[in-house]
Amino acid sequence: MRRLRIMITRLAGMFRRNRTDDDLDLEIDEHLRALTDRFVRQGLAPDEAARAARRQFGGVTQLREAHREARGLPLVETLRRDVVLGLRMLRQHPAFSVAVIAILALGIGANVAIFTVVNTVLLQPLPFHEPDRLVRIFDDLDGPGARDVGLSVPEFEDLRARTDLFQDVSAILPADVALAGGDHVERIELLGTSPAYFDLLGATAALGRTYHRAEWQPGFLDEVVISDGLWKRQFGADPHAIGRQVRLDEDSYTIVGVMPPGFRHPGPTVSGDVDVWAATGFLAPPFPTPAVRAQRLVPGAIARLQPGLTIDQTERRLGALAAQLAQAYPTVYPARLRWALRLEPAQASLTGDVRPTLLVLLAAVSVVLLMVCVNVASLLVARSSARGREFAIRQALGASRARLVRQLLTESVLVALLGGVAAIVVLWLMQAALVARMPPGMPRLAEVRFDWRMMAAALGLSAATGVLFGLTPALQASAGDPNRDLNEGGRNGGMQSVRQSRARAGLVAAEVALSVLLLIGAGLLIRSFAATLRQPPGLNPDGLAVGQIWIPIPNNPKANRYLTVPQRAAFVRKLLPELAGLPGVEQAALGNNTDVPFLGGVAGSRFFAFRDEPSEHRDRHAVEFGAVSPAYFSVLGTRIEDGRVFTDLDAETSQPVVVVNEAFVRRFSQTQRAVGRRLVDGAGRELEIVGVVGDIRGRGLDATPQPRVYASIFQSPSAALAVFVRTRSDVSTIEAALNPIVHRIDPELPVFGVRTMDDLMAESMARRRFSLQLMSLFAVVALLLSAAGVYGVVAFAVGQRRQEFGIRLALGARPFDILRIAFRPGLALTAAGLVVGLGMAALMTQLMSSLLFGVSAHDPLTFVAVPVALGLIALVACLVPASRATKTPLMRALR
Amino acid sequence: MTLPKSEVLQGTLDLLVLKTLDAMGPQHGYGIARRLEQISEDALRLNEGTVYASLLRLQQMGWIGATWGVSDHNRKAKFYAITRSGRRQLAREAAEWARVSRVIGRVLSLATER
Repeated sequence: MRRLRIMITRLAGMFRRNRTDDDLDLEIDEHLRALTDRFVRQGLAPDEAARAARRQFGGVTQLREAHREARGLPLVETLRRDVVLGLRMLRQHPAFSVAVIAILALGIGANVAIFTVVNTVLLQPLPFHEPDRLVRIFDDLDGPGARDVGLSVPEFEDLRARTDLFQDVSAILPADVALAGGDHVERIELLGTSPAYFDLLGATAALGRTYHRAEWQPGFLDEVVISDGLWKRQFGADPHAIGRQVRLDEDSYTIVGVMPPGFRHPGPTVSGDVDVWAATGFLAPPFPTPAVRAQRLVPGAIARLQPGLTIDQTERRLGALAAQLAQAYPTVYPARLRWALRLEPAQASLTGDVRPTLLVLLAAVSVVLLMVCVNVASLLVARSSARGREFAIRQALGASRARLVRQLLTESVLVALLGGVAAIVVLWLMQAALVARMPPGMPRLAEVRFDWRMMAAALGLSAATGVLFGLTPALQASAGDPNRDLNEGGRNGGMQSVRQSRARAGLVAAEVALSVLLLIGAGLLIRSFAATLRQPPGLNPDGLAVGQIWIPIPNNPKANRYLTVPQRAAFVRKLLPELAGLPGVEQAALGNNTDVPFLGGVAGSRFFAFRDEPSEHRDRHAVEFGAVSPAYFSVLGTRIEDGRVFTDLDAETSQPVVVVNEAFVRRFSQTQRAVGRRLVDGAGRELEIVGVVGDIRGRGLDATPQPRVYASIFQSPSAALAVFVRTRSDVSTIEAALNPIVHRIDPELPVFGVRTMDDLMAESMARRRFSLQLMSLFAVVALLLSAAGVYGVVAFAVGQRRQEFGIRLALGARPFDILRIAFRPGLALTAAGLVVGLGMAALMTQLMSSLLFGVSAHDPLTFVAVPVALGLIALVACLVPASRATKTPLMRALR
Repeated sequence: MTLPKSEVLQGTLDLLVLKTLDAMGPQHGYGIARRLEQISEDALRLNEGTVYASLLRLQQMGWIGATWGVSDHNRKAKFYAITRSGRRQLAREAAEWARVSRVIGRVLSLATER
């Protein structure tokens, strides 16, 4: 209450300042007059009486100042004055101000940009109802590559029955689908879900409605929900699209709803955002009836936990469920496979693999900001030596130290805020361009917005930055002894400047240390990138192009013109010669879409056993299966290591044969020649291994090749086909020519995703390249900042000692001696910075080990090259000003 | 021993000014300074300007009020008068001061007995 009252009178005081100032002056005058009269009456001469009166009264200015501070809101009041003063200082040194503001804008802007992404992707909860209860369910088998193998429909039904654990469970089946009914067939992204999907997420449609859990039925519901994107693309954002019929893979569905623009499926898709959501019970055609427990048709599932359950608790109870099932179905879940159910928070599983990249970048950009702070601080220290006299005079006139520090801090915060505002403006304008530069496949990128909250964060960061870089110079500038500074305030600035150059050297050493850290980080990423590039891809990407064809799967098997293997094989046989006849094509092949390297598709793992294994050791192994045409390996340029690849004779009716890769041999057939061995697949078919080919690192150059079995495409063609051509023409020619030849055979088949292999490989490296580029950019900025810092310190020191150098030269010192002296401060602080930086790097590079490939976090080459390079650059930065010292003309130095 | 000018405690000065106004009725700054000089018998030497700082503080607390009037010498002067809440505050402070000085007095007398 009392405080409030003071606040109010003070607030009022701010506006009535002039009147109350006059009042006080009048009171003081009257008081002094009365005192003087009194002294005169006591017998002093009038002028002496006036002096005595003043003495007895004390400092009039201080009283006025104290009055003013106590009366107005002192903080606001002095702040206002400091800001005005600060702006005046900035205007007086426009070049300095612009440089500092630009450096700060760079540092703050880079931080805010990265933080905006980190905030959206990692920190913001998923935009669903109670997102912390959303989980993804994974089926894992033993061994690498056998994680997340997918669920069978009976397993999914077991999960759906556990209402004690899950409020809702939805299977997730991302699929390609042909959308017909428009002017051309378009391949779109379909998400097959359970009817409970939208209830589970707590999402509602922007237009129309969604389907609901109560509508469950064994087969596909007639109702589909479409995305905002497809609604705009295919239906011209027509509100009457609700109720329209669409043909998806030859089946007719009714659009019942359009999702809002921000709605994204919180999980993996085939490629890009989901266009259509369709619900099914997975228990009617096209799914096998009755459902087979060993057939893992459903790639994944999401669920909402019952309130109050933690992930750990739920996982333990699922463990019990898995044990029960393993007992009930020992042939489906052999103990050696260690089948297990695993849960992950939906958010972590969506963003898990970008987390380390983003965090390392955030750390790096924070180091850059820290360096910017140090750099600006050292600039301010340098300038405060020029302002030494100003401070000394102000202190002599009665300014307290706190007052000076406050003023200097206000100035630096002001500068930082200006930098922050500049950063905000730039980010605001470049928002779209910056997001577009992010690597593709980064989850939640569409949610990234530079909004008012990020602007507030930017301003907050700026203010904090201002205090951070302002504190050292402020404390240090105000610590002077006004007497000495005033007396010595001649050319060399006296003690103040010695203290300042010491503070500055410390700051620059810190700068060198931080840039060592960043350079080593960037160096390690560069080395990883190089190591990645050195990995043999297992194919020759030059002139290799791929495309995809989707063969629709209607829900009614009778309507499916490509239901049986012979039907699909016939299509393949018709298409192959046409492909080879494309203009500029040397050789062409067909395969499954999962056989396209670097596309990111993962073929479902299938079980197999070796025929020749002793029955008691007979084990079932899980491995990825592909299916390719005879020319596949020669089109890709993959080596044949042993045996043969397919021929046209490995046809529908002949003995089923397979080709395996080297990883397969390493894993399963190390002691025995693989060629000639026979496998038994899950359906009981016997497959003979006829050849071994080199590994194709299709999951990324930095991923270990997984065992893979290739079948002949005539013997097991799938609905998702891929075209491979080795060509001299460019992609657009191929794309233009591919469409008509496919449509000549069947006009209902969409052709899409025509790309060069170079493109796909580059894309698979996009994230690595992105972090590499950013990190290198940060490192270069760091390098420039620290070089500028070292230069500044040496130049300043040389300037200070010009006189001394002149005399030394005159007395016969050789230029080399002068050089050595001039060098010393720069070299000392560089050495200190290098040592500290190497120590920090040794401790911290471990944190980025998940981003490294083929190089240790303490890679000796990087740890030697960086300090050497940095040392050389620092040497140059010292050499320039130091060599100036050797040319000091004596007379000028002495004058 | 006279205290150095700066060491007159702020709180003490406020109390003295409040008491002076209580005892003498409305008074201007000069009058208060004279009164303090008189009753402290020169033991308390202060920059008379600080009286005005004290007056401002007391005013902000609402313990005294101020009006412009005419002094004995027929000059314009600002007169300060204690308010009711100022009296209450004075009573509290005086009691507190008495209590503290009693305690200190006791402690000091103990120390001399040994």
